Amino acid sequence: MSAMTTATTVPAEPAGLRVTTHGLVHIYRSEGHEVAALSGVDLEVGAGEMVGLLGPSGAGKSTLLSLLAGVFRPSAGKVFVGATELSAATPRELDALRARRVSLMLQGAGRNLLPYLTPMENVRFAQRTARRSGRGVELPEPVDVLAGVGLEREVDRPLAELSPGHLQLAALAVAMAARPGLLLADEPTSQLEHAARDLVLERMATLNRDLGTTVVLVTHDPDVASFLPRTITIRDGRVGGEGRSGEEFAVVTPDGFLPLPPHVREDLLPGTLVRFHLVDGQYLLLPETGGAEGVSDV
Amino acid sequence: MKRWRYRPFQAVAVVALAALMTACAAFAPLYYRAMQQTLTHSVLAGAPAITSSLQLTATRPSDFDPSRSVVPPEIVADQLDDTYRDSFLPPVLGYNGGATVLGVTPGVFGAVIWRSGQCDHVEIVKGSCPEAAGQVAVSVADAKNFGFEPGTTLDVSGIPGVDGQSGSVELEVVGTYRPSPDDDFWLGQTPTGRSGAPGPGLSGAVQHDWWLTPRETFEDPGLGVDTQQSTAAYGVDLDAVGVAEMLQFNDMTDALARVDLGEGMGDFAADTGLDALADNVQKQIDQSRVTVPLLLAQLFLLSVVVLWLVLMAITEQRRPEVALARLRGHSRRGARRLLLAELVPITLLAVLPGAVLAYAATWVVGGALLPDPLVVELRWPFVAAVVLAAVVLAGVTLLASRRVANEPVERLLRRVPPRRARWALGTGEAVLVAGAGAITVVFAVGGLDGPVALAAPGLIGVVVGVVLAHLTTPTAAATGRRMLARGRVRGGTSMLDAARSPATRRIIAIVTIASALVVFSADALVIGQRNRASAAKQEAGAPMVAELAGTDLASVRTALEEVDPTGKRATPVLRIQPPGDGASGTLAVVPEAFTDIALFPGGAPDASVWSRLAAPDVEPIVLTGDALSVDLTDSTLRSVRADGTPTPVTVGFDLVHASGQTLHMELGELPVGARSATLGRTVSCTAGCILTGIWFKTFPAAGMKGRVTFSHLVAEPSGAAVPLGPADQWAPYSATASGSMEPSSTTPDDLTIELRNGGVAEITLNHAWVPTLVPALASGALPPGSSGNEFGMTGIDGEVQDAAAVGTLDAVPGSPPNTIVADLETLQRGRQVSSIGQLSVWFAEADQQLLDDTTEALADHGVAVVDARTVADVRRSYDESAAAWSLQLAALVGVLAVLIELLALVVSAASGWRGRTRDLAALRMSGVGRRSIRSMAVAAQMPAVLVGVVAGTVSGLLGARLAMPLVPLFATAPEVSTLDLDTAFGAVLVAVGVSLVVLGLGSVVIGRALAGRARLQRLRETM
Repeated sequence: MSAMTTATTVPAEPAGLRVTTHGLVHIYRSEGHEVAALSGVDLEVGAGEMVGLLGPSGAGKSTLLSLLAGVFRPSAGKVFVGATELSAATPRELDALRARRVSLMLQGAGRNLLPYLTPMENVRFAQRTARRSGRGVELPEPVDVLAGVGLEREVDRPLAELSPGHLQLAALAVAMAARPGLLLADEPTSQLEHAARDLVLERMATLNRDLGTTVVLVTHDPDVASFLPRTITIRDGRVGGEGRSGEEFAVVTPDGFLPLPPHVREDLLPGTLVRFHLVDGQYLLLPETGGAEGVSDV
Repeated sequence: MKRWRYRPFQAVAVVALAALMTACAAFAPLYYRAMQQTLTHSVLAGAPAITSSLQLTATRPSDFDPSRSVVPPEIVADQLDDTYRDSFLPPVLGYNGGATVLGVTPGVFGAVIWRSGQCDHVEIVKGSCPEAAGQVAVSVADAKNFGFEPGTTLDVSGIPGVDGQSGSVELEVVGTYRPSPDDDFWLGQTPTGRSGAPGPGLSGAVQHDWWLTPRETFEDPGLGVDTQQSTAAYGVDLDAVGVAEMLQFNDMTDALARVDLGEGMGDFAADTGLDALADNVQKQIDQSRVTVPLLLAQLFLLSVVVLWLVLMAITEQRRPEVALARLRGHSRRGARRLLLAELVPITLLAVLPGAVLAYAATWVVGGALLPDPLVVELRWPFVAAVVLAAVVLAGVTLLASRRVANEPVERLLRRVPPRRARWALGTGEAVLVAGAGAITVVFAVGGLDGPVALAAPGLIGVVVGVVLAHLTTPTAAATGRRMLARGRVRGGTSMLDAARSPATRRIIAIVTIASALVVFSADALVIGQRNRASAAKQEAGAPMVAELAGTDLASVRTALEEVDPTGKRATPVLRIQPPGDGASGTLAVVPEAFTDIALFPGGAPDASVWSRLAAPDVEPIVLTGDALSVDLTDSTLRSVRADGTPTPVTVGFDLVHASGQTLHMELGELPVGARSATLGRTVSCTAGCILTGIWFKTFPAAGMKGRVTFSHLVAEPSGAAVPLGPADQWAPYSATASGSMEPSSTTPDDLTIELRNGGVAEITLNHAWVPTLVPALASGALPPGSSGNEFGMTGIDGEVQDAAAVGTLDAVPGSPPNTIVADLETLQRGRQVSSIGQLSVWFAEADQQLLDDTTEALADHGVAVVDARTVADVRRSYDESAAAWSLQLAALVGVLAVLIELLALVVSAASGWRGRTRDLAALRMSGVGRRSIRSMAVAAQMPAVLVGVVAGTVSGLLGARLAMPLVPLFATAPEVSTLDLDTAFGAVLVAVGVSLVVLGLGSVVIGRALAGRARLQRLRETM
């Protein structure tokens, strides 16, 4: 085994990739019916950001992640990863993108690892396409990649002997093996105990900070969300809100719509008439109640 | 290799399957070749030496110039091209000369010969083997018959001069010899056996055996021996002749036929039966060219299909890994490479063990099925088959990998592979079903034959298996839902599980195809054996048959009564086969014994049929003594010639001697105008004679008319009168053309005959004891000229005898088609066995002791057993043929098909065991007990196995019906067909039973193994 040293590689690509979507729509067929998983998502994630996608089950989080990875093609709208418009990319371009710049971590550590290989061999396998594309010299040694997630001592151990937390770290190492500009992670901590969860998140944050990799992860765990500097809530196939540093915001869409937070929607039933009032620099939302007026903060 | 260490069972199963497939491909050419070699050896070893040897002869030209001798035998031997020399033993060189002994009456003539090494192959009884020119050794028989003892000088004819006159040569007898027994040196030519035998023509000269003399006798010009031929005899070298050499013998004989020794060097001839033997071998090879592919190609295809389905299951299981590769930037091609890198080495790794397995299997199977010597050769067809297997393996692996690798990433990422919502046949399967179905339909309506048509069982299995596999899924699902609705949780869950699992479809398809092959193999094997057994029984006629020399039926019957007083173990049979193709022969038998002893492949006819053959129930008139006399009274019998001159009538008796000999005996003349007379004569009837007829003869073309009474028939010395009447014991005779005879009598002692001849010179009144119409059983069409059921058959005397067909036989045991069977005793009445008759004894059992006892008893009565053969001997001749050896492969195919079925089950379980055990673990989590889990795991595969076995059985039976008529069962079709292609249901049941037991046990073991691994931890497993 080579000496466990701190990664000394120099990122060849811009450290992180900017992610932008415009009016993203994704429709799929299920038992003969068309279902809109996403219906107009506008999103912007800056290069080097670490963002969490939140939302209830079926909201479209994983679908959005797959669209950002180029696994799905959108039914409408555009997806930009860096300068590449994924919706217009050829299969070869998508393969090249996934080989070098975009990495997708699937839910469940096992799905990200070849079960018969050790962590180091898995990392090496993940680097193979990048090496073939001429980026070999830029890539870190597998052992360094594993050291980067804290698996220096598990590089050659069979996967079956690793704990769930270490498995997830191994999956993270594999995902970061080619030093991608964008890491997309689907529920990376969903099957982990708290300690392991925190460890994985901490490692991801470290990689994000040290390497500048843009990280978009899907989670429905509030604790995970609270760990993230920015969260985007997907609700009913749209961006339903955004959290920054623990504070929740509603987001006005480019066409002027404003999704109401769930607790407001409980009060303002569909069909309710409302007025906006500007009072002391603040907007007041006033439902029409036939006399008495209720006030909601936006 | 890491990948396979992770899935060792899959690796082992794939290697086993791929090795089996390679072995199937490679075994065919190995066995095919080994079979050809065995066939060649068997044909050569079984042929008489005269047939399997090559005799080259240079004959002195007719315009022989005495100054030139016959070419030396070395030159004759050299006419055989070196190309063929290795197939033969070193030639035996020789000279043949004529040696007619001068000055003896009757004349004695024969051959004097020299053969290189002759002294080593005879036993010198007296004197020595000749070593100097002019010396000869004669046979023991010649010494005995002609007194040619050592020391005798023989004056024999020498070489003819230009005037055609022969000089004389003195030869000195220096020894007597006897050929060494069982010595192949003479290559079927016999130096002895001629001594004393009459020569051709009426000269009265007799032959002597070959005289042996040294080479110098022929090459000493001063001696002047009548040298006629120089020879070179090549015995075939059984160890050196393989099928390749054998099939060149035709070219060899063609080349030898073109040999010209040159002007005045004499004629050259090559005599051999090797070309005919080569034709026989070639014919049988052509036959096996159909059967071997029929069986092994189907097995190969089955293993390919199974491997394909198994690889599909394995690649399906690799979907997450392929998805991962795609996510890491691998293109479709890259993902395919990933799969191929894993699968191709493991499948190709199996090629070598497969080839070794084929080689070993050839030794084992060949050793079991083929007689010695077994020769297994690794030739180019074997290498080609191995390469073909490797290419097919790689191709199948490539196709299976492409299928998964080409899927879009989003489909690969789904945890549960997408399935069609409704029933549909895949494109590949539809093409397969349509192709196989079309070929089957075309074949079934008679539009196709040959090897493709012989694949009917496999093709039908494919169609039925694939379609049924698809139909079973929705059916099982609907049944499962119905069962669940009725509260039958375990059964319903199993059915739904089976419907959900792609393994169900695979198992049904594989088991159907394999079971079709198993059933067809068992059916074909038993049908082949049954038909060979039937043909052997038909040809042999009885468990054991001894052919006898001579026609002394009475002695034979006497001997048999001594050996077997019951007549149940041995019976005489007399065959009269008139010359001419298709002529109806007669088989004279003792019906009661013949029914019990003869082998009737289709079952013996009813006893009532045999009773119709009984002789007329009339007491014979037996005359015992050495002289006969009879009174003729009240005669109005007159005979007048055409010119009106009266002429006497000659009267005589037809008698049958106790020995069976018939006597046409003249009693005397009834003088012209005499009204009475007493006629008599001496006879040799002290052992008893039977009076079978009274005849009257007159001058040719003379008329004869009137009546006369016979009475007071007396046989001396007893002097007692023998009654001739009553008249109904005699057969009246009436024919417009040949006259009439009407018997009448007033007392039992006398007989009055009123007669009129119709221009014939002799007219006979037969006693009713002699049948006028022999009752007979006919096989095939009645002979030409038959009228109704009456026809003319060949009697035991070789003459035509009136007969009536009282029944028919499908085939007569041991006899050619168109054979008439009649009662021996009936045929004997009034007739004597002809010299063309062939006597034999048929035995109820192949008991060597019985044969020995019979041979001894017959010898005591002067009858020799010429040949004896058992039904097993005949059966062996059928069994030792390429047709039989090819068909016996069905046993191997059946066993391997069952093995492949089982392997498919194992691989199917091994490729999906993780998911399957997780499902079972989930059931455990929901509260289902261990025992129920085990039952469900076992039951999950059983419906598919049962459906497959039933469907395969039907397909196999249907396929057998279509294919069996095209399968060669015999090297040469028997003269009398006993073909029976009915389904061998017993064998089919056994085959199906074995399949069910093996697959059932396999399902139980697999199910229990899966249930044992269904631990709750599986639910947490993410690997």
